[in-house]
Amino acid sequence: MKISFNINGQPASVEVDGNTPLLWIVRDVLNLKGTKFGCGKAACGACTLHVDGEAVRSCSYAVKFAEGKNITTLEGLSDGEKLHPVQQAWIEEIVPQCGYCQPGFMMATAALLEKNPNPTDEDIDNNIVNICRCGTYYRMRKAIHRAAEINAANS
Amino acid sequence: MVIMLFVMGVTISFAFNEPEEPLTTINQTANEKPPNPSEAFDKMMDVLTHKRCLNCHPSDNRPRQGEDSHIHNFAVQRGTDNHGLPALRCESCHQHENNNFSGVPGAPEWSLAPIEMAWQGLSRTEIARSMLDPTINGGRSLEETVKHLTEHELVLWAWEPGLDAEGTPREKPPVPKDEYIKAVKEWAAAGAPIPEE
Amino acid sequence: MTEQKKKKGVKRRKFLKYAGAGIGLMIGGVYLTRHSWRRTLLEMGESAILPYNGDLSPNVWFQITPENEIVLHSSKVEMGQGTFTGLAQLAAEELEVEVDKIKVVHAATATGNIDGMSTGGSLSIATLYQPVREMAATMREMVKGKAAEKLGVPVQELQVENGVVTGGGQSLTYGEIVKDVTEWEFPATPALKSTKNFRHIGKPVPRVDLYDKVVGKPMFGIDVDLPDMLHASVLRPELVDAKLKSCDTSAAENMPGVIKIVQEEDFVGVIAETHMQAEQARKSLKVEWTVNRKWNLEDVRAITQVGNGKATVIQKEGNAKSVLDDSKGKDGYLELTFNSPIGAHAQLEPNGSTALVKDGKATVWLSTQVPLVTLNEVSARLGMDKADVNIIPQYLGGGFGRRLHTPNAMQAAVLSKAVGRPVKSFFDRKQEFQNDTFRPPTHHVMRGKVDANGNIEAIEHSFCSGDVAFNSAIFPAAAKPIIGADIGAIRGGTIQYRTIPNIRTTSWHVDLPFATSWWRSLGLLANAFAIESFIDELALKAGQNPVDFRLAHIQDDEAGTRLKNVIKACAEKAGYTDQPVGNRAMGFAASVDAGSPCAQVVEVSIEDGEIKVHKATAVLDCGIAVNPDQVKAQVEGCICMGISASMFEKMDLKNNKLQPTIYGPYQMALMRNTPKEIDVALIEGADFAGPVGEPPLGPIGAAIGNAVRRLTGQRLTELPLQLA
Repeated sequence: MKISFNINGQPASVEVDGNTPLLWIVRDVLNLKGTKFGCGKAACGACTLHVDGEAVRSCSYAVKFAEGKNITTLEGLSDGEKLHPVQQAWIEEIVPQCGYCQPGFMMATAALLEKNPNPTDEDIDNNIVNICRCGTYYRMRKAIHRAAEINAANS
Repeated sequence: MVIMLFVMGVTISFAFNEPEEPLTTINQTANEKPPNPSEAFDKMMDVLTHKRCLNCHPSDNRPRQGEDSHIHNFAVQRGTDNHGLPALRCESCHQHENNNFSGVPGAPEWSLAPIEMAWQGLSRTEIARSMLDPTINGGRSLEETVKHLTEHELVLWAWEPGLDAEGTPREKPPVPKDEYIKAVKEWAAAGAPIPEE
Repeated sequence: MTEQKKKKGVKRRKFLKYAGAGIGLMIGGVYLTRHSWRRTLLEMGESAILPYNGDLSPNVWFQITPENEIVLHSSKVEMGQGTFTGLAQLAAEELEVEVDKIKVVHAATATGNIDGMSTGGSLSIATLYQPVREMAATMREMVKGKAAEKLGVPVQELQVENGVVTGGGQSLTYGEIVKDVTEWEFPATPALKSTKNFRHIGKPVPRVDLYDKVVGKPMFGIDVDLPDMLHASVLRPELVDAKLKSCDTSAAENMPGVIKIVQEEDFVGVIAETHMQAEQARKSLKVEWTVNRKWNLEDVRAITQVGNGKATVIQKEGNAKSVLDDSKGKDGYLELTFNSPIGAHAQLEPNGSTALVKDGKATVWLSTQVPLVTLNEVSARLGMDKADVNIIPQYLGGGFGRRLHTPNAMQAAVLSKAVGRPVKSFFDRKQEFQNDTFRPPTHHVMRGKVDANGNIEAIEHSFCSGDVAFNSAIFPAAAKPIIGADIGAIRGGTIQYRTIPNIRTTSWHVDLPFATSWWRSLGLLANAFAIESFIDELALKAGQNPVDFRLAHIQDDEAGTRLKNVIKACAEKAGYTDQPVGNRAMGFAASVDAGSPCAQVVEVSIEDGEIKVHKATAVLDCGIAVNPDQVKAQVEGCICMGISASMFEKMDLKNNKLQPTIYGPYQMALMRNTPKEIDVALIEGADFAGPVGEPPLGPIGAAIGNAVRRLTGQRLTELPLQLA
């Protein structure tokens, strides 16, 4: 079936099986590799992207549901000139190790800050439940607070 | 060709959905035997106390999942609107229908029942009382409660629960859907009597 | 190895060749006098750093482009441990350039820069600390020599700064100097900078891959795409101790998008247009397995018992056995048993490869820790000359030892050859869990005797483990009967309290019905848990502060002094006390791995019946920290991964099925389980860059257990830690 949506501000139209997980359309049809495959079971969060501003695990999201929606992946998180505050904070705190899970964490964090501009440690613990095997959680928590500061300074 | 496939599909899904229903049961309920509100109540409650219902009617802020009703993985929480937390919404993973690739179940308005409608740990009669109490059931009249119980897609999802992450079909409630709906209506028509415990 | 064309015409010459024979040579020597030597070798093996085994010619490692960019072709892979950044710092130091001038890439095997060992064992920076600086310094002198010719200025009058050579009022960039050079002179290895003149080494330089990882650049094995590429899914055993009996492909062949199904003796691969089509078709294969016998977790535990399998005494001082046998049941005697579970790697990027086999050449792109093993396996399977096969390593979405086994490369190559098009194939998560090369379960019996003065008179550690090094492609099979003990399983197994007069450590090796292998820190995680829990219990028995008690049993040689220093520094930094304060208690533990001592203190409470770690303090002595920030990142990572492994993770085996097969049910630490404070300090107790990436995994499990003991009185002897 034909499915049309906006992705990172650009219109896109794909002719695919509507039940295909959005993840594979984003990665293999639209060639945006920043969204990662980790488990295919909506369990690890590596495939997190935004659908109409909400954090969604794209491995468990049939592409047919994307019809007419606005999708943002890590590649579209910044405005193209300047990095998104979450990315800036990730750089300042030197968060990534292997880096594979980080896009999902950054997308989940961006969604969190959109709704809760100044999250407490507890808010972070409860909302950000993605998995990082290298164990960068400690720096991520610092970076999430830092991103909130950058946001506040920008606004 | 299309019609044939459709018919086959219906036949298969019918057979798949209601395999354990003995024909005699249908005959009995379909025959002239007068409705028995007490039997209807029991039948309804066999469904409402099943894990497919109770997992989303917890008495705390943690959804349950699975056949063993364990606390939802990753310590997922209720949130202020019963749809989860700001960046961890039910809809982050659960869409409008089951996803049999991932094993994530889905239905429209996937969410927890409000905390007032906590059923976990309640007896059958306590659940019934809470269902009928407009101060905690969302102000529903009996008619509206029946409509919710028999027509809401999230409730009826229990009979189409899909495959789990391992690809195994989830367990359905012990009463077939049609029989359950009939039982709810009979019970309501009889004035929704709640038996003594 | 092939001649290098692009290396700016540098003539290949092997120099700076470090002892390449490595372990083979050592084993050869041992064989002649095996009994007296075996123990010495194994004791050495725990701390010895085998030298880098590969080519160390500057022209194989470095390439200067006309645009004045220096490309460092790394034979070590980047899996998050920060090696690329460390190598860039080492090279920049002697090349006299800024770190960001150096672009680090994975060396394809066709470039000739092949690591003879693997990326692992926390040895990348440790073994390359001197060689890379020597190569960089040699390269600098070579370029200066050419600059002297071009500028007509004597070489000793030239200044080098930021990749620009200046002399006689003129200057040239490295790129300008090398662009038309075809013949090079190799000078003798120049003297290296002294530590005090370092500009880059020892500085917290941001990771060289930081930006790319933060913007989500395609860089991982799974991100490789080629024109005209097909996708494949390979059938893997779902049962332990089972063989493929039959596979009916008829239904799968008619699935949408399926191009071809390839049945080989050892695997079945489904090739389709898209990834999901390949997956769905593979799942519709009708497969029958022949199960050799039934296996449950109880069977594995029954096998993994001290007393089963093959025993090797790996440490012996005095006469621990008879002292302890005589002390049984008397004052001061203590005996405890410990267990650790089957652990999964659970790295986020699944294993897989993209292969193109065409026109007599094969190329495979993948995440691998062993490009040489991958190369050998692919060329052997395809029957191709190694010169016609190129393995191109990609950034790894986690390694942890999982990428030491890469049959997926050979499989993708076979599938590509079958269709004459590029094929990408990788596991789904269920296959990852079912076909992991697990951390083996272990069983430990600790016995000890404290004398009337509160000193340990005798200690004995007997442990049983499945394969770690044994049966893996990077360990020579012939060495197994010679060495006796599995050199991976024994990591962290010997007693570091060397003033104890009677010590005996025995390793028991058993065969398990599923693959177990290298898992970050190898035997250390379980061995240190058993030993350091037991030492704390002995301290309680002796009525002593556990820090003082440890210090009292450590010898005064160099290794002992380094261990004592981290213990003292960590206790002081954390404000360690052995008495609970309020609802919290502290736990202490220390261990030595590959020569690097690490001590940790955790602060723990019990909340809603669960153990909560509030704070972790760690002191590591890895010698020179090339990048202190990234060393700290490794310590933090080890603490988080160690909390995960020692508090949550375990695999089960039911009716031959390894499970769970999904994150969640395979419970791991999340953000919520991460201490609010992780305080790391480094001691540079040696003048070399020692191992970093694994040693901090040693103390954490015991530290938590020791805190729980002091808080609740419960001694937890089983991982994952669970309150009674």
